[in-house]
Order: sequence, then structure tokens, then C-alpha cells
Amino acid sequence: MAIDDGRSFEHPLYHYWENSPGGGIGLTSLDRLLMHSARHSLWFFPMATSCCAIEFMTAAASRVDLDQAGTIIRPTPRHCDVMVVAGTITVKMAPRVKKLWDQMPEPKWAIAMGSCAICGDFYRDIYSVVPGVDVIIPVDVYIPGCPPNADQVMVGLQRLQDKIKLQLEGKFVERELRPGTMIYPKIGTHGDARQSAEVAQAQLDGARGLGVGGKEHRVPRPAAVQAPPEADATSDSGEQS
Amino acid sequence: MNLRQRDRINPHLDLDTVDAAADLMALNMGPQHPSTHGVLRIKLFLDGEVIIKAVPYPGYLHRGVEKLCERLTCVQLTPIFDKHDYVAPMTNEQALNIALERMLGVEVPRRARYMRTILAELQRLASHLLWLGTFTLDIGGTIGGGASLMMYTFREREPILDVFEMLTGARFHYNTHQVGGNRHDIPDGWAAAVKTCMDQLAARMPEYEEQCVTNSVFLMRTKGIGVIETPLALELGLTGPNLRASGVDLDLRRDAPFHAYDEIKVNVAVSNGCDTHARFEVRIAEMYESIRIVRELIDNVPEGPICSLKPVRTVNQIKLPEGKQMYTAIETPRGELGTWLIGGGAEKGACPYRLKIRPPSLHAMAALPYALVGHTVSDVVAVLGSLDPIMGEVDR
Repeated sequence: MAIDDGRSFEHPLYHYWENSPGGGIGLTSLDRLLMHSARHSLWFFPMATSCCAIEFMTAAASRVDLDQAGTIIRPTPRHCDVMVVAGTITVKMAPRVKKLWDQMPEPKWAIAMGSCAICGDFYRDIYSVVPGVDVIIPVDVYIPGCPPNADQVMVGLQRLQDKIKLQLEGKFVERELRPGTMIYPKIGTHGDARQSAEVAQAQLDGARGLGVGGKEHRVPRPAAVQAPPEADATSDSGEQS
Repeated sequence: MNLRQRDRINPHLDLDTVDAAADLMALNMGPQHPSTHGVLRIKLFLDGEVIIKAVPYPGYLHRGVEKLCERLTCVQLTPIFDKHDYVAPMTNEQALNIALERMLGVEVPRRARYMRTILAELQRLASHLLWLGTFTLDIGGTIGGGASLMMYTFREREPILDVFEMLTGARFHYNTHQVGGNRHDIPDGWAAAVKTCMDQLAARMPEYEEQCVTNSVFLMRTKGIGVIETPLALELGLTGPNLRASGVDLDLRRDAPFHAYDEIKVNVAVSNGCDTHARFEVRIAEMYESIRIVRELIDNVPEGPICSLKPVRTVNQIKLPEGKQMYTAIETPRGELGTWLIGGGAEKGACPYRLKIRPPSLHAMAALPYALVGHTVSDVVAVLGSLDPIMGEVDR
């Protein structure tokens, strides 16, 4: 959705209805009805360019059958609520995608399907490819995969429905992170299966503010300073004994 | 003007010479159009509803695959090749790996060659099923009854993808071929699954064919539409079913055998109709032939290793000889897919210096300006659907 704000759903007629005597009672019931129907009658606009388009067609066909969720696939932007960007978006195609997005009436949502639409995949650095469709249009749901299976499209649709429900209730919806842009730490986190037990324990101790081996945390000093000269150490011990 | 008087219309018409009083209308079809099989834009110049001139503008899916191939090593190329013809990824992988094998002189074990033949024919079936569904959808429309056949063909395509998933773990973009053979061996119960799938398809195919050929509207919209004569088809470099529908008996499976095709007999379907209906007939006949080949081979897969080289461990494992170049072509569901490979690129020869792809769909697109003139706007989707171009392959 362009503006994450439940108020954009308000129809101008609401104002007159609300101000008429006793109108608020009917308006509450109507609001609930509209919320329900907006969620369960999403019309899809397939911005289908490449491989993911075939898998999107499979999702609309017999086995998965997107129609059971009340969707209809319409190839014209003016009828549709959701734009599904399925496939690579090139520099030549990008202005068309933006224009078609602008032609869709509010409220509208966008789904980025497949790794090309999310971040450009391995065509990312190629001169003619847009690295992710969210540089052009705001994306609500990301469905990762290359291409995602047809049932994953169904899961993505359900995620979008949940999001729309929260939006219509006027609640704050946190923006979904682009899967390709999540920053992973260079070193493994605690509990990572790939790293050794010593490193995991050291990280855990570091997080508690403790030093290595569960002792008090110290700033490590340079080796030359840290190691005392052997002669002094022996002489000290000799004097004490 | 008579709609079918094609002789009086010149496909090379220069629009500057047209009288302004003719008042031609320019109509853009695409790039976002449900029936252009992706993102193709055709500029149509219309007199009333009759097409006077048609100019295709490809390039909306140009992903720079050939440039990318110069930066990746031979081992890394197979997944890239999956994606440029996304309806038939299996045969694309084979085209690349056969090119690399012939350049390096690597022998493929007999079991791997048989497996590749079966996979290629299954992929041809899946591709043609998808074509049949979308072609009838384009002609009939969602409301007009075309969608029903599309639902049926997608239902038939699912078991074939399940069979691929059983073998490779992926429904799409398999990455199952490597230089010297295959990556995944046949699992238990695979042959039985393939046979069940083929039995189902063989039982239902006549029904789908009958749905089309007994429909008078379908016949009216396909017969005599989009004629590409034999000399024109040869001149434009059409291959595959499009060429065979123009009356040329050429099939690389029989004429330049590549997998195990030299050990089996391939009956090539040819039609002299030259029109949209002939291309439909040829593809339907090819599907029956593919079912026959798969059924013949699935019981006779020989035992032995599936790869003659060591399994892939590093990306720089295979080096191409410097300066050597070779053109290799195989028959994919859409026609001759050729790769022109020059060795000795980056990474001390592990990358190709140049990899030129000769896609069959690009040459099919070249026939559009000739096939469309003289017909109405509604015939564009029928002709385009019958040529079966894949835009990922056209633009690369």
C-alpha cells in the first residue's frame, strides 16, 4: 500500500453518513463488512515478465488454485488491487511498471515474487537490470525463491491478507524487510551450528560483560606488555620464598 | 479491402510513402499484454481492423546473459542457462553441457545419455502442454472457454514436474547436468512414476486434441491464418515445429543425433499447411511421438556410471582450451538451440571467452511482420501463440 494509514480507506460518503442521526450504528457494521470483503476479494494484476510468471500461472491453475481465496487475475491495472511483480525487471521495462502501478486505484498493494524481483538475483550487477523492484514501487510482501513454488504464492497471499486486516483496523504494520538486504554478521552468532563451542562460549561471555573463561572482562593488552620478563618473575618468587 | 488478400500487401512497406489520406492508426500491443507470452511489444499499423504493417520491438527482458557468461566459469553456467528459456530449462542445460563436452572431447556414459533423452522428451511434453494451454487461452479467452483446456493441460503438466522434482529436487531450474554426465541418479520408483504419468497423458491427449479440432471456431481462427511459406521460412531461419509446419523435413534429433537418438527411431511430424493450424498439428503429433519415445526408453536404461568425470568440487575445475571455437546445436521444444563457444577466457581459461546463443524463438519472431499483415487485430494472438516464442530466449 502506498500510504500505511488506515484512513485512506475512507469513502467520501462516510462523512455524510456519520453526521446523519443514527448513522454511526449502521456504519460500524458496514465497516466490518467492507474490511472482510476487501481482504477476501483481492484482484491480481500480473506484472509477469519471466520464469516466475510460469509458476504464477501454475498457482492460478488447477492444483493450487488461487481463486479459492477470492482472487481474480485481471490483466488491466485499473481493475486491480494487488500488483504481483513476477520476474526480472529491466531498465527498459521499469518505466512501464511504474506507469502501470500509478494507474492502479488506491488502495493498492504490491507483491515481489522471486529473487529477481526482490533483489535482481545474479543479474543484479548487469547493466540492464533493476536490482529489485522496490527501487520503483513500494513492496508489501516478498516471496523468495527462484522461482517460488506455487504453494508459496498462496502463503504470500495469506501474509498479505493478514497485513491488510491490520491496516484496515488502523493498527501499525511494520514494514517487511527485503530478504536480500538483511545484514548477516561476519562471525557466527551464538548457537550457530557451524562454529566451535569455544567461540560460542567466548561470545556468550563477551555478551555478559565477562572475560574469557567466565572471568572478569579485561581489555587485552599487547603481548610484549602482557608477558612479564621471566627474570623478574623468578626473582620475585625467589624473594618471597 | 478483402481481409484475406495477402498478396496485395507488402510487409516491407515504407510508411513514409503511404498517402496521408489513408489515415493509418498506430496501435501498440504490449509490452504488458497477457497474450504476448511475456514482454513483447508489437507496433501495429491498422487500416480499420486490418493490419498493414507490424513491427515487433523485443528487448524488454534483456538480462545480459551472454555478457554474464564471460564472467562465470563453465561449472557456474548451467543455472544461468536454466533461466533463458524458462519453459524448457532441461533442454537448455543439455545444450550448454553438450557444447562443453564436445569442445573438451569428453565422452558421456551410455546411462547418462539415455537419461538425458528421457528428460529431454519429458521436457518437450511439459513445454508443449504449456503451449497448448496458453494457445487455446489466447484464442478462446478466459470467459470464452479457452481457460478450461488450460486448466486441463496444467493438470497434466504437474505430474511431469513432479517426476523432475523426484529426480532433481526442483520443480523448475533443475541444475541436473554437468560436463561428462548427470548429477542425480535415478531414484527408486522413478521409472514407475514416469510410466504412470505417461499412461495418464496418453489416455487424455486424444480428448484434448478433440476439444480443439472439433471446434468450428477454433478451426476458423487457425486455418489459413499466419501463413509462412517454405522459402520464407528457410530464409528467416525458422527451426523446430515452426519449420516443419512449413513443409521442411528437418529435425536435429534424427539428422544430427546428440543424446541416445542415434540408437532409436524418431518419427518426424511434417505438415504442408504452413499456417497456424499446421503448427498446431505438428506440435500435437510431436507430443504423441514424445510419449512413445519415453515409453520405449524408460525400461531400457542401461546400468553403469552417470558421469565420466569427477564430481564437481570447485568452480575452476574445468578449463577450456584457448582459442578453440565450436558451434553446437541441439533440438529443443522450440527448435535449434545453438551455442557458439570460444575457449580461453578469464580465470585462466575456466570461463568462456565468448558464448553466443542462437535462440530459436528470436528467429520465430522474425516471421511476425510477414505472418501478420492482412489479418485482423484478433489474429495477432493466434499467430503469436502458434509461433511459441519465449521472450527470455529472444532478449537473453
